[in-house]
Amino acid sequence: MNLRNEKRVPSALPLKGIVAIALFLSILQGCGPNATEMAAQHAVVAYFAGDFPQAVDRLRPLAAATDENFVLNNCRLGSSALAENDLDTAEGAFLNAYEVMNSVGVNEGGRLVGTVLVDEKIKIWKGEPYERAMANFYLGLIYYMRHDYNNARAAFENALFKLQDYSDANDKQEDNRRVESNFALASVMLGRCWQRLGRDELARAQFARAIELHGWLAPLVDERLNRESNVLLVVDFGRGPRKLKNFDGAIVGLGPTPEQEGPLPEPDVRVDGKLFPLDGVNRPPVDLLALAQDRRWQSIDTIRTVKSALGTGLIAAGAIDSATDDRNRRAGTDLALIGAGLLLKATSQADIRQWEMLPRTVFVLPLKLPPGKHDITARFPAMPELSQSWRDLVVPEEGEATYYAHLQPYDRRY
Amino acid sequence: MIGARLCGLFLSIPLLLAGCANDTAVAHGRNTALDGDNLVEITDDMSMKIMASPPVQRAIAREGKLKVVVEPVENDMTAEILPSGPAHAFTGRLRTLLSRRARDQFTWIMNRDAWRYLRENELEHIDPGPSPDAIQPRYALTAKFSTLTSEDSRRRSTYYLCVYELTDFAHREILWSDRYEIRKNAVKGFLD
Repeated sequence: MNLRNEKRVPSALPLKGIVAIALFLSILQGCGPNATEMAAQHAVVAYFAGDFPQAVDRLRPLAAATDENFVLNNCRLGSSALAENDLDTAEGAFLNAYEVMNSVGVNEGGRLVGTVLVDEKIKIWKGEPYERAMANFYLGLIYYMRHDYNNARAAFENALFKLQDYSDANDKQEDNRRVESNFALASVMLGRCWQRLGRDELARAQFARAIELHGWLAPLVDERLNRESNVLLVVDFGRGPRKLKNFDGAIVGLGPTPEQEGPLPEPDVRVDGKLFPLDGVNRPPVDLLALAQDRRWQSIDTIRTVKSALGTGLIAAGAIDSATDDRNRRAGTDLALIGAGLLLKATSQADIRQWEMLPRTVFVLPLKLPPGKHDITARFPAMPELSQSWRDLVVPEEGEATYYAHLQPYDRRY
Repeated sequence: MIGARLCGLFLSIPLLLAGCANDTAVAHGRNTALDGDNLVEITDDMSMKIMASPPVQRAIAREGKLKVVVEPVENDMTAEILPSGPAHAFTGRLRTLLSRRARDQFTWIMNRDAWRYLRENELEHIDPGPSPDAIQPRYALTAKFSTLTSEDSRRRSTYYLCVYELTDFAHREILWSDRYEIRKNAVKGFLD
């Protein structure tokens, strides 16, 4: 009798396992943002409050740490420094990001296994393809502002690569073109670089490509306008894509869609108080919300989904078996199954780290003005609270001056 | 039994995480950019070749020490950025090697940009000597790096052609030219 009773009692080991599961899950629940992630978020808040110097100060030490957020923090620092017109810091930050983004095997060693088994946030963040493309775009813009057209050209070419290379190997050329085409912004700037390097035939090819893909860009890529412009305004507008979790945090989506956000407003420009005739150059060359919808490159999504589904299956199996086990003979096993399922669910949480500063679009506005000093204002008539003014902006006798601004409607999240 | 295995799994996780602590973002990465080893290989090779060049030796025999200005590398590469530092290093190290190995054959003249930078930033109260406009170098040591680059979902591949030239300003003649070719591949992994 005693012997039979002893057999019915689950061994102590599964109970210990259950306790360990509970402890581990409680630890995972506590895996909220750590101190450095909080510091980065404070910097992001400062950026959206327009306090770019503080954002730079907060991000500088974070960007120096070669941890899993090295690229992300350097992108954040680059954005903040560029908005502050600190081109040296911005160039250094984007170069750091560029080098790791262009590298392969950065997650070799323990990170690969850890990413798959434990938490995707362990992996070194290299960004989604549109984030990589934008890092290269901003690096190119910095070189362009400095009249280093060869490096600017190289960065814009790399921006195109970053979207092209994620087309699946089995995809046809047509698909490659479709993905790449969505980043006509880089083609426009690449064409301008080729013009300034005296390679008009290559510039023409880039401009023609932009028109072919987005007919509305024809006024913007007018050869003569781009050759003769002596001021270039580059204006970021809106908020870029955001990573979204589903109800159990397993699957990431990117949103909102362009349809949810509505059409992009068009800016106008006033020079010394007078409306400047833009003649259609104020159309958006890119919509990152649309670009982000083309998300076919994340192989880890599959693993995460499988882990989540397996976890659900184990929980269900444990629960069902427990419900049919009237005498609790398999209580330990059932609890272990449920625990293992919860563990799998907990480790299938999506990595939602993202470069928050990205805009929805970047307007490129080439102007031809008399040399000297001018007051210039870029604003959005549909959103009167949004404008950027430059006082005594210098228009050079020769060459071109490029000015950058980031404009964004109030966002209650920041 | 299942519980024991799970316990083992839990114990291994902290160890796994601890292993990531020293696994930095720059510890494992490989890319197709030119690196320090390439700098040494290329400039060592070019210094040997320029010193062994018969036209260069004839010019030295004819004119004495050659007055040479050194320019940074011109970036003609596809999708490869060459920042200012490396652009100067790839010709600067060649100049240093030649200064050391053939000190009686070349006189090095600071290029205009470097002279102006030095004057503006370092020598506010010191006369940096005659303006480069007043000194006419006879030769220019230049380099141009070009690439064929391709990238897809599996790899990034870059073929480099690094061309160095010593140009005679007076006769618009290329006194010496040579090249160095490198192919670099980076194969993408699971999380790349």
